[in-house]
Amino acid sequence: MWLFDWVWNVLANLGLYHKSAKILFLGLDNAGKTTLLHMLKENRVQIHQPTFHPNQDELLIGNIRFKTFDLGGHETARRLWKDYFTTVDGVVYMVDAVDRERFPEAKKELDYLLTCDELASVPFLVLGNKIDSRTPPAASEDDLRYSLGLFETYGKDDSRYRANDADNKIRPIELFMCSVIKKVGYADGFRWLAQFF
Amino acid sequence: MEDFASAEERDGVRLSWNVWPASRLEATRIVVPIGLLYTPLKPIAHPPPLAYEPVRCNGCPALLNPYSQVDYRTKLWTCPFCLTRNHFPPHYADNISESNLPAELIPQFSSVEYELNTTRGAPVFLFVIDTCIPDAELDELKDSVQQTLNLLPEHALVGLISFGAHVQVHELGFSECSKAIAFRGTKDYSVQRVQELLGIAPGQPSSAIGRFLLPVSDCWLELDDLSRDPWPTPADQRPLRCTGAALSVAVGLLETAVPRQGARILLMVGGPATCGPGLVVDKLRSEDMRSHTDIQKGAAQHLKASTKFYQQLAERAAAASHVVDVFACSLDQVGLFEMRSCVDLTGGAVVVAESFTQSVFKESLRRLFKRRDGAMEMGFSATLECITSRDFKIAGAIGPCSSLRKKSQYVADTEIGAGGTNAWSLGGVDPQTSVAIYFEISKSTNKRRYCQLITSYLHSNGRARLRCTTLCGSWADDASALARSFDQEAAAVLMARIAVHRTDTEEVSDVLRWVDRSLIRLCAKFADYRKDEPQSFRLPHEFSLYPQFMFHLRRSQFLQLFNSSPDESAYYRMILVRETTLNSVVMIQPTLLSYSFQAPPSAVLLDASSVRPDCILLLDTFFYVIVFHGETIAAWRDAGYQDQEEHAAFRNLLMQPLADANAICDTRFPLPRYIVADQHKSEARFLICKLNPSVTHNSTDIAAGQAIPTDDVSLKVFMEHLIKLAVES
Repeated sequence: MWLFDWVWNVLANLGLYHKSAKILFLGLDNAGKTTLLHMLKENRVQIHQPTFHPNQDELLIGNIRFKTFDLGGHETARRLWKDYFTTVDGVVYMVDAVDRERFPEAKKELDYLLTCDELASVPFLVLGNKIDSRTPPAASEDDLRYSLGLFETYGKDDSRYRANDADNKIRPIELFMCSVIKKVGYADGFRWLAQFF
Repeated sequence: MEDFASAEERDGVRLSWNVWPASRLEATRIVVPIGLLYTPLKPIAHPPPLAYEPVRCNGCPALLNPYSQVDYRTKLWTCPFCLTRNHFPPHYADNISESNLPAELIPQFSSVEYELNTTRGAPVFLFVIDTCIPDAELDELKDSVQQTLNLLPEHALVGLISFGAHVQVHELGFSECSKAIAFRGTKDYSVQRVQELLGIAPGQPSSAIGRFLLPVSDCWLELDDLSRDPWPTPADQRPLRCTGAALSVAVGLLETAVPRQGARILLMVGGPATCGPGLVVDKLRSEDMRSHTDIQKGAAQHLKASTKFYQQLAERAAAASHVVDVFACSLDQVGLFEMRSCVDLTGGAVVVAESFTQSVFKESLRRLFKRRDGAMEMGFSATLECITSRDFKIAGAIGPCSSLRKKSQYVADTEIGAGGTNAWSLGGVDPQTSVAIYFEISKSTNKRRYCQLITSYLHSNGRARLRCTTLCGSWADDASALARSFDQEAAAVLMARIAVHRTDTEEVSDVLRWVDRSLIRLCAKFADYRKDEPQSFRLPHEFSLYPQFMFHLRRSQFLQLFNSSPDESAYYRMILVRETTLNSVVMIQPTLLSYSFQAPPSAVLLDASSVRPDCILLLDTFFYVIVFHGETIAAWRDAGYQDQEEHAAFRNLLMQPLADANAICDTRFPLPRYIVADQHKSEARFLICKLNPSVTHNSTDIAAGQAIPTDDVSLKVFMEHLIKLAVES
């Protein structure tokens, strides 16, 4: 098997072969989904007005060609989310770690997604964004885990052996803290997510 | 500035340059093209419509106007355009004298409107309704349409087409029960097929009127029977929606039943076309809606066929003087990008909203039928003709218009927008509709230059009308006289229209480069500076705002594609190229007002430093209006101070921006989205994203205002670069 992997990796490094994955950026409004997409695409911070129509883009991260859909997060826009569930390979769920008042709302929407049949086998990368904020301070990872009910998660280390183990049906979900505008944290998250494609 | 405003008030015209350079070479050096923005239906106070035919020149298409030289003794008038001497018609000749002039010769009346004797039938309104939308949406939609019927003039005719997987043409005249004739959604029906299936014939309006088109008073019940499309939709599929076929049947019905009579097709659509001609995305959800990236890469597989289909429909509708309006209400794209020609070529209205329950849709629909002096404001089948004196020619027009391919001596070699013609078809018009016309200087031979704009249209009362505006201006050789005549608002809008027009065929990055280069050249030409000394740079006050306009234009949704779908981009651009100068300036650089206890309400800079905790801000972007409460204000409000008697002043402070926001919304079409938000909250981004980022998350001096998380350059940095490049030798 290692030889097989090695061939693919060489091809990928040469830019000749890419795996592709369709991922959704979901989360409440003002979590930072569009800012993250812009950062991944242009490597620059930019402020945007709240998203109306879904943003669709293609990104090359590592050897994976991501087809990303950044959907609006305000309450009415969430009705559209389910239209995008078919043929999805992964979900990036963003949470504004500063806006504690809205943690219950963020949890409710996350719970809804996690209980959707169509997404039952889809890996979830949960990003706690805005950890750069000092006033008011962002919630810690433990606080956020508690608020979102994410006590037991998949594990952050590269656990490819577990993914290969067919008997072990643990749902791939993991929380990473990040700051999009300071460019920290989300790369680890994507690396974690990439192992499932 | 006074001058520009009064000229606009009188004639509905704004020019980028009010004095023109005398040679073609000099004209290329002034960078900003010579052009005008014309609002043909702008209400004019005086004179009232003239109830007679205009007097025409024998030598050219010009009409008698105040700049004609009149010889009262011999009863002759000289046309300022072709210098032909014309005899006055007998009834003019009998009465005319220096003290007794017909209205069109009175100097103040450079714009007059004639009401002609030709009449056409009553206006027709054909509602084309999408039934693949949730029940709640459909109910609201039906409710809105029902209310609209009350706004129509009594003699207006109404028709109804509904569509889902199939098209249904409702036979409103069949009173026993509701009856409709069905068409397959997957087929493109030719006009002959539509005639056969509906049993109507061209030249016999009676075969359709009374059956499919009924006077408004008789069509009450039919809407109640309209229910959701029963076609089942599996979870991995989109609803079958044949928007293209429905529109095609609608166009076919009207062009057979009421050709050359004012009519509107009001398309209400809640999702993308997924079957038949004009489909924009496959019914399987595994196929994604096309994005900007797909379009750039040529990977949008239905785009070409679909755009062509709607373009052909648009041309047919325009030729029959029918208007297509699109009300797109959906959380996702509906394919407006493909359908835009239907609106643009027919002079239709376009409204984009999230839902049919939103007031953006409901109120905008109502306003479409707005009346002035008892008559609806809308006009039909308008055409615009432009005549110039021989010193300059017409390069083209950009706006909701299409070329009538009228080659004439007034046409220049270079083309800008719809060129190669001096006449355009506008289709539907309203008092806001504005067209930009660009000129090319040949060579000045006379002291004065003249330009006449003749708009003929069908008034909603069924009578033909002719609006004639004649402009006169002068030439100058020296740059300072030109500079003094520069109207920076009109110039910014004329440039913005070119930029947006170029995005149809060019990459946005190229267009941005062109905007930058033009700005640098303009500053290098008109600013006062010593070579290579940036600190010596001074811009004359006529140009003082122009760089800011360009700064905000570059950042605007018109030229930035990120976080905006192809439909959104199409929508914003369609509106920009059809609105008045004033409204377009607001779109390019939104206006910001500040309210606080410290000072009376005042306009403030569109800048991060204007955000203060103890201020309320009112931002108007034309597309939305937001009232923004600083954090202190929001805290006071949450504490309920406004309800306490001793804090009446605070209550007033809270109320005033709301009242002003309402006043703005009242005058607009489409109705802007209205948002009230607090500092640091999610919706505050509607305001923050429009501000010049003078303070960012990287700034050290955070006391200066709201820190904006962005790496974008601020206006200051932009100006520094501009100055550096402009003074470079």
